[in-house]
Formats: sequence, structure tokens, C-alpha cells
Amino acid sequence: MNAIKKGEVRMRPRWHFALLTTLTVSGVVIVGLTLLYATSLAVFLLRDSGALFATDFGQRGWFELLRMLPWFLFLFILVFVVALEVLVRRFAFVYKKPLLTSSLAILTFIVVAGVFISLTPLHRGFMFSARHGQLPAPFEMLFAPPPPPDLYRGTIVDVGPSTFTLSDEGRVGTTTFVITPRTRLPYGSNFKVGERVVVIGDTNASGTVRAFGVREIDEYASP
Amino acid sequence: MAEGTDEQVAVRVQQGESDLFGVLIERYQAKLSRYARKFLFDLDDAADVVQDVFIKAYENIQSFDPSRKFSPWIYRIAHNEFVNALKKRTASRTIFAFDLDTLVPHLAAPETADSAALERDLRATLEKHLEKLGAKYREPVILYYLEGMDYREISEVLHIPVSTVGVRLARARTALQRFSASHTDLV
Repeated sequence: MNAIKKGEVRMRPRWHFALLTTLTVSGVVIVGLTLLYATSLAVFLLRDSGALFATDFGQRGWFELLRMLPWFLFLFILVFVVALEVLVRRFAFVYKKPLLTSSLAILTFIVVAGVFISLTPLHRGFMFSARHGQLPAPFEMLFAPPPPPDLYRGTIVDVGPSTFTLSDEGRVGTTTFVITPRTRLPYGSNFKVGERVVVIGDTNASGTVRAFGVREIDEYASP
Repeated sequence: MAEGTDEQVAVRVQQGESDLFGVLIERYQAKLSRYARKFLFDLDDAADVVQDVFIKAYENIQSFDPSRKFSPWIYRIAHNEFVNALKKRTASRTIFAFDLDTLVPHLAAPETADSAALERDLRATLEKHLEKLGAKYREPVILYYLEGMDYREISEVLHIPVSTVGVRLARARTALQRFSASHTDLV
């Protein structure tokens, strides 16, 4: 008490704590928005590559999905979830809950919000610029990675008795696919010109691509 | 008391009546000294650590939110200072660094009014065997049984989930009963 009376110990001003709170809240907002952007981008890239739709083709489709997962983005998201957890854990409404509960709440929120954001035109502009070489190389790799060798996605430009031709969104030119009795068609085979589809296909020695699986892409789910 | 509640006094200190901080020191000196003695045990400079708690409390009094209770706020400062003191003493940075108990949700044992006899036995055991408990179990025991806080207040002091407070207290009680039984066996 003597030290206080002598003025040796001083009270920190109220603005000091207001500033700390403002910085913490700003940190939460910045990290949260970055997380939302990264998560929605990850969903967008999976959707754009067609990998998200390929799971209808069974085990091989799931394998394609795993292969196409943007692991770098996932690692980035994980680091930012930890950062967000550390920031919000200062608040009573968070530290009174178990770590698992708050982390799952954060993950659920960013995944749900990320899926909704991925349906908006937010990332499409960047992807367009990347495909036209208007972005620096790292961003080009992020927004327009090279297409996987056996996964195709595009618009049907021609339909034959047991073939169809696709204008692929990730490749130059068109690709013609052969439908065989073993081709997996979870939504049927009544394809029309102008429809957008995702295909897993195997190229044989003659250059023909045998369709392993074909499915339409829901326009609502694919902006 | 003429000065009012702890919260009212704290507000007046915030408004510039620094002398009134002495009232808060008077009210919490004995409590925090007991908390320090029980938590830090053989730490010679426990009195100095308590002194540091009051200095920290005064420096940070503007961060106190008058809509909340003052007691958990100053005990939180004490907890931080005591943990720092323990870290210095043990030269270990791992005390309370991460605890699996705070990770997963628990079905907390509800707060119960133990019977008078049980309560008396437990307090006697506490006096004898508290030192044998690890720091993370010792602290909620002190706050609950000696400082009379409820689970929610302990949760605010330790910044852990309310259910974790219940789990730690239940484990501490079991450990104390085990210490007590083995002690009786030896006699």
C-alpha cells in the first residue's frame, strides 16, 4: 500500500485494456475471415475439379477425392483453427467449455459457412484469372492446378450412340469418351448436349478414353 | 461496511480513490495468504508472492468488470502469480501447459453438500495430506474446501471448463481417501 501511496506502482489506464480487447477481437475477426476464405476455397477447388462429385462412382471416386484434396490448404486451415481457438479461449464463454466442444463448434461453423461461400462467385474470378495466366505462379497453382490425368469435367458438345464428347474445363480442346456396359452411371445415361458432367476415364493405347463413371453436375451445387 | 461491497470499492478505486485499495488488501490479505500457503507450501517467499498479487491487481484494476464478482478476478491474478512462482521453483514450464481433462466433455459430479461427518473427515484428511496432491488437483481442492468457492467461480479462476472442476475435485477426493487409508494402515 505504501508503494501505491508513494506512486511507485501505477494503475494501467483503461484505454490500455480497451486496446488489448480491440486487438484480440480484431485478431479473431481477421483469423476467422481468413479461415472462412481458405475453407470455402478448399470446397470450391474440390467442386471445380469434379472430385467432390466423383464419390458417386464408389471406391475409385473416393480415391480421386483423397488425391485431389488440397492438403496445403487443409494444413493452413488446421493452423488457423488452432490460432482462433487460442484467441477465443480468453473469453469466458469459450474457456468454460471443453476444448473439443469449442474446436468442433469452430470447425462446424467454418465448414458450413465455407460451403455456402464456395457457392458464391467469390473464387471464380480468381480462377478465371489464373487460367488465363494473369496471376503470379503460386496463385496460379492454387486456383488452377493441373487437371488429374483420369478426372474430367466439362460440358457435353456431342452425343453418339455409345460415345459423348466433352469440352473439358481444365484442358485444351475436347475429349471423346466411350460408354461401356461397365460404366457407372448413377444418374442414368440420358446425356444431352450442353449438360455439364464429371467423368473418370481410362485412356487406352488407341487414345480412346473409356468412361469408368459419368454423372451430371447439379447446377445449383456448381456455380 | 461503510465502503460497500468489493465490487463497489473496486469501482471507486477505478475512479481514482486509490486509498480505498487498502480496503481490498485488508479483505483479501488473509485469504490470499492462506491460499498461497496451502498451494505453494514450502515456498519461503509466499508473502512476497502475495504482495506481488496486490501490486498486479492494482496495476490492472481498470480491467475489472464491475458487472462481475471481484473475488474470482483477484483469485485469477493470484493463480497466475502462484503458477509462475511454482514454475520458477521447479524450473519447469510444463505445469498446467496442457491438460487432457480440459479437452473432452465430462459428466461432472454435481456439487453436493457432504454430510457434516464426511466433511469433517475430509477436512482432517486435507490438513494432513494436501501436500501429496499434484498442483492441478491441489488448487481446486483449496478453492472449494478452504476458500468456499463454487464450481463456476473455480472455473473462472482457473480458466477451465466447469465439468473439469468437478472431475478434478472427484479425483482429488479419491486420492485423499487413499492417502488417508494408507496412513491409517501404517499406524
